[in-house]
Amino acid sequence: METRGLTRDFGSLRAVDGIDLVVPAGSFFGFLGPNGAGKSTTIKCLTGLLRPSAGSMRILGIDPQADPVSVKRRIGVVPEDLALFERLSAPETLFFVAEVHGLDRAIARDRAADLLDLMDLKTAGTTLVADFSHGMRKKLSLAAALLPAPKLLFLDEPFEGIDAVASRQIKDLLHSFVTRGGTIFLTSHILEIVERLSTHIGVIAGGRLVAQGPIAELRAGADASPAKPRNAGDASSLEELFISLVGGDQRAPVALDWL
Amino acid sequence: MFRILRAFAWMRWRVLLNSVERTGARDTLERLSLAVEQIGPLIALALLAPSVVGLAGLGGYAGYGLAMGGPVMTFEALRFLLFAACGFAVVGPLLLPSMEPTALVRLLLLPIPRRTLYAAQTAGGLSEPWVIISLPIVLSIPVGLAIGGAWLAATVSLLAALALVLCLVGLSTLSTLLLHLVVRDRRRGELLALLFIVLVPAIALMPGLVMSSPGRAAGPESPAGPAKTEHRRRSPTPTPAWVARTAGVARALVPSELFVRVTRSSARHEADGAVVPLFVLGTSGAVLHALGMLTFARLLGSPSAGAPRRPASRAGPASVRLPFLSRASAAVAQAQLRLVIRTPRGRSILLSPFVVFVLFAIVMQRQGRMELGVLDLTSGLNLATFGAAVCLLAVLPFAMNQFAIDRSGLTLALLSPLATRELLAGKAVGNGLIAAGPAILVVLVAFVLFPGGSPALWLSLPPAIVATYLLAAPGAATLSTLFPRTVDLNSVGRGSNPHGVANLLGLLVFLTAGLPSVLIVVVTAGLVHLPSLTPILMLAWCGVALFLSRLLFKGVAVLFDKRRENVGMVAS
Repeated sequence: METRGLTRDFGSLRAVDGIDLVVPAGSFFGFLGPNGAGKSTTIKCLTGLLRPSAGSMRILGIDPQADPVSVKRRIGVVPEDLALFERLSAPETLFFVAEVHGLDRAIARDRAADLLDLMDLKTAGTTLVADFSHGMRKKLSLAAALLPAPKLLFLDEPFEGIDAVASRQIKDLLHSFVTRGGTIFLTSHILEIVERLSTHIGVIAGGRLVAQGPIAELRAGADASPAKPRNAGDASSLEELFISLVGGDQRAPVALDWL
Repeated sequence: MFRILRAFAWMRWRVLLNSVERTGARDTLERLSLAVEQIGPLIALALLAPSVVGLAGLGGYAGYGLAMGGPVMTFEALRFLLFAACGFAVVGPLLLPSMEPTALVRLLLLPIPRRTLYAAQTAGGLSEPWVIISLPIVLSIPVGLAIGGAWLAATVSLLAALALVLCLVGLSTLSTLLLHLVVRDRRRGELLALLFIVLVPAIALMPGLVMSSPGRAAGPESPAGPAKTEHRRRSPTPTPAWVARTAGVARALVPSELFVRVTRSSARHEADGAVVPLFVLGTSGAVLHALGMLTFARLLGSPSAGAPRRPASRAGPASVRLPFLSRASAAVAQAQLRLVIRTPRGRSILLSPFVVFVLFAIVMQRQGRMELGVLDLTSGLNLATFGAAVCLLAVLPFAMNQFAIDRSGLTLALLSPLATRELLAGKAVGNGLIAAGPAILVVLVAFVLFPGGSPALWLSLPPAIVATYLLAAPGAATLSTLFPRTVDLNSVGRGSNPHGVANLLGLLVFLTAGLPSVLIVVVTAGLVHLPSLTPILMLAWCGVALFLSRLLFKGVAVLFDKRRENVGMVAS
């Protein structure tokens, strides 16, 4: 996946400011940034939910603006709002996804059963999504994204609100997905997860891409940088690297003496 | 406590201002759409000020008239208004829900005593329209009495006025709280909403049924019809005595009626006639607020209720093959149908036309004919046409907001490999099936019950319905694209309505789409008297409508592609 000068404006606000992103095939790409940095807007542009104000993109070798349907056949997305019909049950949601992807019905049934089992959603039965907890919705959204066996997965905060057991299972699943040649583009605020899973990261701040590349390279670069503040720790942890990249270490500490 | 109440008042004011000032619109069309949404309440607000002044003047005049022993017509008119306000205090919260379901959870996190929270909730009730309308009336009547020199009557009436306001606010608060207590459980809430939606039209038509005479001496086209019908119309069935007695007692206990009795008796210096109703009024207010407090405590104790899991069906989701549709479009159509079957508003679309139809059919059965303004339903064919039209119009709340009703489900559709034409086709077919189910039933039942009339015209009805829908469907998709509105299909009131502009124009679109079919019938059956031509021409028109519809949908697809981002963002 590649973008050139990807820009998105909302009126006078430039949410994404000319980012040049390169996500190698088969990589687990962690896309990080502070709140409001433009992560979700970038994902929405890449998945066709938002039209870029400027710039170009190629996803799996296809221009999504020229041929959006072909791109959508090859990708899976867990968006910010989870994208679920409130009045469908979990099996019905997966049935809908299978039908719009034109999957063979027998194959779709087997895959749906596997995914519902993995996500512990079999017991949900015919309960409607409207009655699901946040965690169950997230798991169902992930199952819907995985059902067509996409080549590229976009995951916007997939681990938020998911219990530890399911989280472990999903991490293993995503890891095996990448091992088999799939590509994952993930945003998360849980840096430990990104650090454990990602092969590459990109960091966005204020709508601009401030760094991207393999984690090891970025760490080495940050440690060697002459601009690195003297009091900063080494970039051995992703947290240190992230804070130094988004300028969090430049902020004056605020002491709430009244607290 | 005062600071907390002031904070609540400020918060409500700020929310109101922010809804006007910061709309979050992304382009001119969205700004226009939101502005139109705001205009209605703003006009109502602007009209309210002179209304309040006018009502205060009328109240003062009525009070003065009572004190001077003058004519009481104004007082009687205001009595009717107050009676209506009491009714709205009970029903209003159902139609215009004013409290967010999540508000209570947020309030619970604040360090505020429950009594204060209840006071804030009650104070909010003072801003309800039925209370705002009642306040100037009940407060100015004592002023009028005082001006007329009846100081004691003015004081007693003022006490009654305060008790009435207490009752109105109590009724409104209790109704709101009970509603939220019920809708904590989604399914119970849906059942209530459905009952409400289906019962309201049924109750509205009940007087017509009760007043109509029993028996069916003359059929729909009986030669003795007019004279007998006229005779039956003039001799309504008398209301049973016990019904009249119970209604009388119930009416006397309505707070506004108690206020009227207090005020009238005190103006006539009848102490006995004033004390008892004043006591009952005050006690009613206290009881209503005690019940309100109890309900509020119950609601705060468990602001939300979980829904039990339902077992999985072994068969899995049923897949229906729809002819001439791709699998993707069929999936969209099925999702649309499921949405209808599983929401109160959707179920009402399926049931209400049939309820209305059954009531009309019963009236026709009893009276032989039925006149409703320009409609004169004398035959089963007319009844079937009327029923089918109602079925087509009933689908408006869904058809005119067909994309945004999916909420975040629309995001799933937009992320899926669905071509725009497939999405539009699926939605159109889904909406068509929603209207078709009740319409087919209505036509069949009408045919079985009242089979008279020209067979050729009966045969023309199905293609006429199809042609009307085919022509209206692109219009519905266009309006849904231009004026999407975030809705809650659990709501029984305006919360589930489409955008006002879409609704109004949608009605016109459906009526216009039906005109050619009406013209064909008028020309073939009315002017050239060749009804056998009607089904042939209607079928031909159906083909033309299909061609036009496909052509129009191409334009809609271009429009949708331009607006899909906005539609998606409004929906989710």
